[in-house]
Amino acid sequence: MSIEVNNISYSIKDLQILRDVSLKIKKNEVLSLLGPNGSGKSTLLKIISGDINPKSGSVLFDDINLNNINIIDRARIRSVMSQSQDIIYDFSVKEVIEMGWLEGKEFITEKFDNALYKVGIECEISHLFDKSFNQLSGGEKRKVHFARTLIQMYNRDFETKSRYIMLDEPTANLDISHELQLINILKKKTLEGFGVFIILHDLNLAYHFSDKVAFIKEGKICAFGTPDEVFKEKILTEIYGLDVSFDNSTKKISYY
Amino acid sequence: MLNGLDRFFRYISLKQLIIFNVLILVLILTMTVGISKGSFDFSVLKYFTGNLTTLEEEVLVNIRFPRVLLAAVVGAALSMSGACLQGLFRNPLADPGLIGVSAGAALGAAFSIVMSAEFFPDFLFTPYLLPLSAILGSAFVISILFIITRGFGFEGMTYMLLAGIAINALAGVGIGILTYISDDAELRGLTFWTMGSFGGVTWNLIIPAIVIILSTIVWTLRISRKLDLLQLGEPEAYRLGVDIKKLRFDIIMSSAIIVGISVSLTGMIGFVGLVVPHLVRLFGGVNHHYLLACSALTGAILMVNADLLSRILIQPAELPVGLITSAIGSPFFLWLIFRMRKK
Repeated sequence: MSIEVNNISYSIKDLQILRDVSLKIKKNEVLSLLGPNGSGKSTLLKIISGDINPKSGSVLFDDINLNNINIIDRARIRSVMSQSQDIIYDFSVKEVIEMGWLEGKEFITEKFDNALYKVGIECEISHLFDKSFNQLSGGEKRKVHFARTLIQMYNRDFETKSRYIMLDEPTANLDISHELQLINILKKKTLEGFGVFIILHDLNLAYHFSDKVAFIKEGKICAFGTPDEVFKEKILTEIYGLDVSFDNSTKKISYY
Repeated sequence: MLNGLDRFFRYISLKQLIIFNVLILVLILTMTVGISKGSFDFSVLKYFTGNLTTLEEEVLVNIRFPRVLLAAVVGAALSMSGACLQGLFRNPLADPGLIGVSAGAALGAAFSIVMSAEFFPDFLFTPYLLPLSAILGSAFVISILFIITRGFGFEGMTYMLLAGIAINALAGVGIGILTYISDDAELRGLTFWTMGSFGGVTWNLIIPAIVIILSTIVWTLRISRKLDLLQLGEPEAYRLGVDIKKLRFDIIMSSAIIVGISVSLTGMIGFVGLVVPHLVRLFGGVNHHYLLACSALTGAILMVNADLLSRILIQPAELPVGLITSAIGSPFFLWLIFRMRKK
């Protein structure tokens, strides 16, 4: 039960963005993707989520090629949280979360109410449900989008199929307590059987909560393994072109 | 059908359901008043009791009733198309006029007004020539928009808006040339048609129009949920299982059909498609099940009233209805821009 990324390459005209990338996102695991700006992280996420097709290579969801899964079925096995844009019209928070609910016809059911209650508690946003989405703070908006991403996975295939969550820098403009809260929810989800693929910038955060870490530079995976395997001073220094030191006693990474 | 209705009622809140029902009542009331009032008044009730003179019956059945019905249907069509396009472009200023659909229809119609006398002097289907060439005009614009924006993927919307501006300008050039080469009678017809009017409609022309417009409206209601999801952004909607290309095609086709027919029958009636969805959002919410259905109803109500005003304000003469909607709509448009700037 995993997403297998095999030898993905992607280019726009002559510009090579990804070269021969292979990864494995396993159930019950958090895989963090790190790398300098412009290294191809978001492009890789777009390919794995099915937004764009790679020039070569394949993406397999539980051994089925992504190209053979239609977009409605894709929505049932993976949800994506990107750096969303604003919503123009005044939807309520509850309506925004409802957009992630895939079982349209079963709208006013116990199942939906349960799922809504659950994500409300988990993300601590129950008190916001009736507010207008546009009047929330930036951090609250992120949490609502996160709740929508979660509720998407509580669809009717909840018990039987694998579920994956993909996040593109979800902690951007969250304060440290909300950052930790979001990370802890993700960690809890892996225990419930989710696979998590997350793009991060914060090295310490990635080290402490990932099961696997992949480093990407100039479109190539240059390190992939458990945090202890890849968080080596030599590797980090090479990737970021910056003196990165790793304190083995406190397990802290510092670069200034 | 029943399934669709069931879904509709599940998606709207109690408040929205009440608004929906009130609007239906108001529409029936407005249409009754619209039929009764005019250059001479009579009671609709008399029709059912059979107490009308032959002249009164003639006026009611062949002049008033088709006219009020057409006003309602065109109001519904323009408003719903406005609501759909505002959702599709995620732009509160979108309107059928914006992407050039109305202009394409107008050019087609103007072409038939000026040219038909020369090419088809005694053509049997002359009454149908105007709507037909208007639909062709809007369909032509849509096809061009499609070809231009095909390669742009998720960013296609911006290019479509820009293409709309260019198409509007081009259609303006076309209508200008037609105006220049037309003789006095054609020019008069063209000018009055451009300002919009519900006068002079006949049953054989509006029955097909009403059937097509109403069925397109009902068909379009089914895509409300997808329009809601689209508000998250096109990539997000795609990830939630919405086929963006198909959705875009569906909305544009439905708008082309209902706007093309409306423009051909009544001329350019501005600002209804812009104003009505905003009013509806102010009443009771922004989700598209509610918005599309109630925009259609509100548009019908407003248009019947605007037509009534156009008939009674300067009796026995008549104001072009497009003049009235623009007089109400353009200050509203300015207010909208002002409010957006303050945000």
